[in-house]
Amino acid sequence: MSNPKTANVVIIGGGISGVAIAWNLAKKGVKDIVILEKKTVCSGATGRCGAGIRMQWGAEQNCLLAKMSVEFFENANEILEYDRDVEFDQGGYLIVAGNEKENEQFKKNIALQNSLGIPSKHLTPQEAKEIVPHMDETQIVGATFCQKDGHLNPFNTTEAFAKAAERLGVKILKKTKVTGIDVKNDKIVGVETTGGYISTPLVINAAGGWAQEVGKMAGVDLPLYSERHQILVTEPVELIQDPMYMAFSLNIYIQQTPHGSFIMGRSNPEEPRDLRQTSSWQFLHEMINTCTTLLPPLRKLNLVRQWAGLYNMTEDAQPIYGKVDNVEGFWLACGYSGHGFMLAPATGILLTEMILGEPLSIDITNLDLGRFERGELCFETSVV
Amino acid sequence: MYLKTGVADKELVSNALPTEERRASGPYAIIECFQEIPCNPCTEICPFGSILPMDDINDLPRMDYDTCTGCGLCAAICPGLAIFIINESYSDTVASVGIPYEFVPLPQKGDVVKMMDRAGEFVTDGKVLRVVPNKKYENTPVVTVEVPKDKVNEVRFLQLKQEAEVAMPTADPNDEENLPDTTIICRCENITVGEVRKMIDQGYDDFDELKRLIRTGMGPCQGRTCRHLIMQEISRKTGKKFEDIELGAFRPPTKPIQLEQLIGGKEDV
Ligand SMILES: Cc1cc2nc3c(=O)[nH]c(=O)nc-3n(C[C@H](O)[C@H](O)[C@H](O)COP(=O)(O)OP(=O)(O)OC[C@H]3O[C@@H](n4cnc5c(N)ncnc54)[C@H](O)[C@@H]3O)c2cc1C
Ligand code: SF4
Ligand code: SF4
Repeated sequence: MSNPKTANVVIIGGGISGVAIAWNLAKKGVKDIVILEKKTVCSGATGRCGAGIRMQWGAEQNCLLAKMSVEFFENANEILEYDRDVEFDQGGYLIVAGNEKENEQFKKNIALQNSLGIPSKHLTPQEAKEIVPHMDETQIVGATFCQKDGHLNPFNTTEAFAKAAERLGVKILKKTKVTGIDVKNDKIVGVETTGGYISTPLVINAAGGWAQEVGKMAGVDLPLYSERHQILVTEPVELIQDPMYMAFSLNIYIQQTPHGSFIMGRSNPEEPRDLRQTSSWQFLHEMINTCTTLLPPLRKLNLVRQWAGLYNMTEDAQPIYGKVDNVEGFWLACGYSGHGFMLAPATGILLTEMILGEPLSIDITNLDLGRFERGELCFETSVV
Repeated sequence: MYLKTGVADKELVSNALPTEERRASGPYAIIECFQEIPCNPCTEICPFGSILPMDDINDLPRMDYDTCTGCGLCAAICPGLAIFIINESYSDTVASVGIPYEFVPLPQKGDVVKMMDRAGEFVTDGKVLRVVPNKKYENTPVVTVEVPKDKVNEVRFLQLKQEAEVAMPTADPNDEENLPDTTIICRCENITVGEVRKMIDQGYDDFDELKRLIRTGMGPCQGRTCRHLIMQEISRKTGKKFEDIELGAFRPPTKPIQLEQLIGGKEDV
């Protein structure tokens, strides 16, 4: 197959964001969409993430975006006509509070979540232990739980979007890196790639941890940086833990996949800002110490593999959605700050509505690039 | 040396042998399995519990020689053809060695065959005493051969006399029939060659892509066993040169480690 020379839309990045946007655009009838991926689909953060989905957020907008995504994921196999399974496991999210202050904030969050129709509830340590019996409940002062939260198989979910998009004519070119963006008179006219030049009036930057580099190609300095986040997986064992176990104050999450292996990750507040995706022993040490304090029996599990991926961060830990005002035809879907997987269904729907000039299902105009200059940041505290 | 050449040296072999006393008192199995791989059928099959249970599937098998009868079941099931049955108390001058043999035609009782050492070098002639085809378990036939006593722990393979003269047929890399679809290519995750071929047909022609979608190479062995086999399959199906196929990511640790060994709460291991 020879690469196309022209396209109506070029999407840079074959992660969950890129494929979700492509499918939504194609479904609305947009033709000649090309996704350019420098390695393989899922090789970025998407294929390295925990793929956890939760509606238990502190800010109303995030609750709504996540709710939209959960409703989509619940029916994703049917909607995307997927021949395998995205493995949406709604075992819930158990978010534990390490101190009273956090516990009080959680109670407020729950009031907000319930008012938006999200069925979360507050639990005492004893009640939490009934849901995760292998936890040491003396380590926590309270918890919140929402049964509708859960996790997916990120590879299958991305494949489901990618295949559905391809059936609608979207072309996905793997091992094709964008090396330059051609801007003439403040307008996008094409992209330079390792597979040749493609002329196009519209480019969507869905390049994950590399989004700021892609921005520079169009001469735009995006207020983004990347940082490494590490994660590990154990050998599979019998299914013993339904929910994702998460602690904001300790920066960790621990889940058991339907395959039986445990996946756990930890954020390091001291992580430098760069593009490294290497693995460190310090992570293992800290992760396992915390994990075995909170969930002691897990000390008997065998570690199989550790790896790392990039969080693409903004100052307020919220994504940037929308167009770049001074470069016509340049759109942004990046800066997910560690929760872009769960937002993907909403990302796809909303970016498509923005590009096609349709009314927005959820108002996200405040998440534009301009908010940084205006000083109107939208902080979210419930993040790992 | 062993890791480079695949040929076990004297030290490895002598460590695998039982005591002199045990060697003199009846048939026994010698397990020449020296690399930690995720494999354990030998521990399951022994009717006498002589191959001790493993804590971890990657462990090397360990023997209890007091109970081993030399029945040979383990030699027939070992997929690595790493187990041999030795009988040194058979007579004063000759001993017998049971060798797993997966070629056709099988030798016949009474045939004189060439006996090779672990590196494939000719050592001595031997006389076939017994051929146990093991049809019942679809396992490997075990051929028992009589050899001079001092050579019994040197010889580990046999070659039929007439076969030596016939040139070896070269394997045709395009002959997919080499491996039937039902062959397990990734042992940790139980993935067959057929499943891998189906994915390659859909355009997934990269080791890491296959790993993400069907888990080949994701199990405890981390691709040690299957990585090259899968790359060969990709090469065969896509016509790309083997050298041009990306190896895929290698991730630490190379061998599973129990979490508690990483928290500093346990003595050195
Ligand atoms: C350890 C870890 C755990 C996480 N856990 C969760 C979680 O539980 N829940 C959740 O919602 N989110 C989680 N995230 C965040 C989530 O993974 C990301 O927000 C999300 O995957 C972003 O998807 P994306 O498609 O925007 O980016 P990516 O998946 O990173 O995709 C970007 C793609 O762009 C390609 N690319 C970059 N530059 C170029 C170029 N010049 N030319 C062509 N292609 C290019 C890259 O190769 C890459 O494939 C986690 C992240 C990490 C690292
Ligand atoms: S030869 Fe028979 S008894 Fe001895 S270890 Fe093998 S299976 Fe067990
Ligand atoms: S069956 Fe053979 S290869 Fe497998 S562990 Fe036992 S001796 Fe080793």
